[in-house]
Amino acid sequence: MSRRQKDILIWIGTFLVMLVICMPGLWVVLSAFRPNGEILTKPAVWIPRDLSWDNFRAIFGFGDAVVAIPVGSYFLNSLIISVTSTVVAVVIGMSGGYAFARYRFPGKGAAFLWLMLSRCVPGIALSLPLFIMWSWTGLIDTKLGVIIVYTAINVPFTVWLTEGFFRQVPRDLSEAAQIDGCTPWQAFWKVEFPLAKSGIASAAIFAFLTSWNEYALASQLTRSTDSKTLPVGLMDFTAQFTIDWAGMSAMAVIIIIPALVLTFLVQKHLIAGLTFGGVKG
Amino acid sequence: MAEVSLRNVVKRYGGHKVVHGIDLDIAHNEFVVLVGPSGCGKSTTLRMIAGLEEISEGEISIGDRVVNRLAPRQRNISMVFQNYALYPHMTVRENLGFSLKIAGKPPAEIEAAADEAARILGLQPYMDRTPGELSGGQRQRVAMGRAIVRHPDVFLFDEPLSNLDAKLRTQMRVEIKKLHRQVGTTVVYVTHDQVEAMTLADRIVIMKDGHIVQTGTPLEVFERPVNTFVASFIGSPPMNLVKGELRGGVVELAGGGQLPVPPGIQTPPEGARVIFGFRADNFMPVGHGLAETGPVALLELPVTLAEPLGAESLILTELAGVEVQGKMLNPRPIQPGEVLSFQLSLDRCHLFDADTGKSLR
Amino acid sequence: MSRLRRFLRDNAVPLALLSPAVLVILLVVLLPLLFSLYTSFSNYRLIRPESLWDVVWFRNYLRVLGDGDFWAALGRTVLFLTLVLNLEMLLGLGLALMVNRLTFGQRTMRTIMMFPMMFSPILVGFQFKYMFNDTIGVVNNALQSLGLTSHAIPFLVDRWLAFASIAIAEIWMSTSIFAILILAGLFAMPRDPVEAARVDGCTNWQVFRHITLPFLMPFIYIAMTIRSLDVARAYDIVDVMTGGGPAGRTELLWTLIARTAYDDSRMGQANAMAYVSILLSIFFTWYFFRKLMAARKHLGVF
Repeated sequence: MSRRQKDILIWIGTFLVMLVICMPGLWVVLSAFRPNGEILTKPAVWIPRDLSWDNFRAIFGFGDAVVAIPVGSYFLNSLIISVTSTVVAVVIGMSGGYAFARYRFPGKGAAFLWLMLSRCVPGIALSLPLFIMWSWTGLIDTKLGVIIVYTAINVPFTVWLTEGFFRQVPRDLSEAAQIDGCTPWQAFWKVEFPLAKSGIASAAIFAFLTSWNEYALASQLTRSTDSKTLPVGLMDFTAQFTIDWAGMSAMAVIIIIPALVLTFLVQKHLIAGLTFGGVKG
Repeated sequence: MAEVSLRNVVKRYGGHKVVHGIDLDIAHNEFVVLVGPSGCGKSTTLRMIAGLEEISEGEISIGDRVVNRLAPRQRNISMVFQNYALYPHMTVRENLGFSLKIAGKPPAEIEAAADEAARILGLQPYMDRTPGELSGGQRQRVAMGRAIVRHPDVFLFDEPLSNLDAKLRTQMRVEIKKLHRQVGTTVVYVTHDQVEAMTLADRIVIMKDGHIVQTGTPLEVFERPVNTFVASFIGSPPMNLVKGELRGGVVELAGGGQLPVPPGIQTPPEGARVIFGFRADNFMPVGHGLAETGPVALLELPVTLAEPLGAESLILTELAGVEVQGKMLNPRPIQPGEVLSFQLSLDRCHLFDADTGKSLR
Repeated sequence: MSRLRRFLRDNAVPLALLSPAVLVILLVVLLPLLFSLYTSFSNYRLIRPESLWDVVWFRNYLRVLGDGDFWAALGRTVLFLTLVLNLEMLLGLGLALMVNRLTFGQRTMRTIMMFPMMFSPILVGFQFKYMFNDTIGVVNNALQSLGLTSHAIPFLVDRWLAFASIAIAEIWMSTSIFAILILAGLFAMPRDPVEAARVDGCTNWQVFRHITLPFLMPFIYIAMTIRSLDVARAYDIVDVMTGGGPAGRTELLWTLIARTAYDDSRMGQANAMAYVSILLSIFFTWYFFRKLMAARKHLGVF
């Protein structure tokens, strides 16, 4: 067997493995376009007969089938909460990451460790006291309440990522800029920030995906359409004994699409961000 | 017009003192090189002049301003960094014009200044490239260009050539010297390489452990080292140093044999422990050296190893149990073990106090 | 006092830069945790607010420790973590080695490999619940169509099948994190040692075992550390797939906490369990972090 043939065989093998990996996701996407009737038929219908947008129309409240699930509000809540908490977490994380990367101060190692350890707390364990405290302060079932929590759970990771990227920017660049006439603030924005941009972008994506996909905390801290996010809303399709599989699939597609688009748009940064931890720690 | 003066400058990190009260006056347009082994405080001193390190004690002034409390940008200096510190996200043109842009100069002026710097340094073909697309030597030039664009009062160089290969280093050394002639600005240059120091400096400042050991022109520090440290640091190969004791007007070498006390030495007391120093250039086999005018001592020594360099050979031999180096002009092949007659030019020899290392000259 | 003032003055800039991060974590993580630590010593029930002041000291802990359900859930959780993390590591290693061997189309494959990472855990749970459903699930349908079984297999009802189904969902979701990090390690791997080993007469397996794998260990431990930070996301999967049921057969520590707190409204006891779960998470993270540091030191390259 020639080398070329072997390469092609390996490629085909890998492709098949990837296909198997993607199957579960693709199956749900396919179901989103099939009517409930077809999904539930016994024996199973393997080749879809009629694909349509009906499920999407239904969950958004158009068409004949009435589904009383306010997917529109959930989507909007998710968007507002995720974007806001991402922006705030990135700003805070950048500030902290810069401090860790550029300054020496007593207790630095311990501070870093504690910051990271705060990420260890399982969402459900954190939700118990937050549930009570947010009830007292009236933050329960508000977007603000969720935003604050998401900001906090994203900060350790954004600090970690941005710290690594700022550390990669040589210190003498900022010094050169200051000698060239910049104030420290200018030196940061004109030289260090542009160079750490890809790291900051990857931190932002991670934060966004975490917020967008989070369930354990949101499921306890949100109650109504005022603040319920898409992952929490997904459970609306589960009644006591029945599940609206078609509607749920359609909603799954709605949740996955922004994450998918975002990830593919910036996957280079994403990989840079992830692998960075491996290379530099 | 900018003199730089350091008055009792101290740098402390926590309780640890790294610069111990330095006094130094640098004249306008002077090229001063701070040289010393790593950790001697030379870079810290430079960074204090730049304003990148806080001054723990003492005073630094540039021109007639005390700059202790001024930020780097207020000192009107420019600096070339060891790793060039070029802005990777900007083109060469933007790198050159950055300081003027920050200063809010009109685009036309920035353009003109960048072009002028590019012309001086031969950078015109690379103006729209980013630093990543340049070779080491070109990056080095951009770093220098960025420094001259501002017309600073003082140029600071922090080991600018240490990342270049040997050939480029020699070439850039010449360019730096030319540049200094051309722009004529006060220069403070830090290096650990004594050849760079010798070739570039108007005045060399040799530092060790946070102290200034000796200040002088290249020839002064070469010919009149104040102690054994300077003697072995400046010059290549380093000065040969042989321990001995003063007995009856001659130096009894520790490993046997004796050498006369070089002329022009304030004779130390009988029995004093001394170190006898001489350079390879003044220690040559008879017939393979220069015509001697002063007093000489003749020494018959077996050769350990000969290193031919072409125009001359370095000869390794042993004097009183100490390995010493000599030089052979118009060399011929030498076999190890061959005994040669070396002539030592006594008026170019040195005597140091063995306890303090200080020169007795 | 003056020492504190001096500390503040000397480190004013980094402290100011750090303060927002510290503040927000203090407010949303540390303060609530202190509060929950207190409630774990009280008889707090959600339906009776005044019970917050009813301090019972270690009664919650004693009750939890004497509770068979708790120990079952804890054992299941540890088993789950061990199983899942190791399988993810092995599968991720396999995937990475496979992608690394590609001579073309590597980027595309890497992108496809990342597909599961974008799925919210809750979606993953839903997706596998859908697939493993006993009447309409694609897995059962396939098995029946192929004639491998005559009746539907109750994947999410049987104790071990449900446990396995949940583990599969978790593995599907997180294997690519391992694969990507290990792939990064393979990319960063210097060629010389491998070539030197080949010259020294090593077989492919020996090269992998003695050169490649030791070099990859730090990357594997990094992945382990990252994963143990958010391994509790499995709560989402379990919650949607089985809800810990039927009859607590798939209860993990996290779902047990949620049930105790919100369904039984026994906050104090739930918080006592939550502390156990926090310690468990910290232990796993710390363990792999230590391994990571040791591996790095051993290699001496980072």
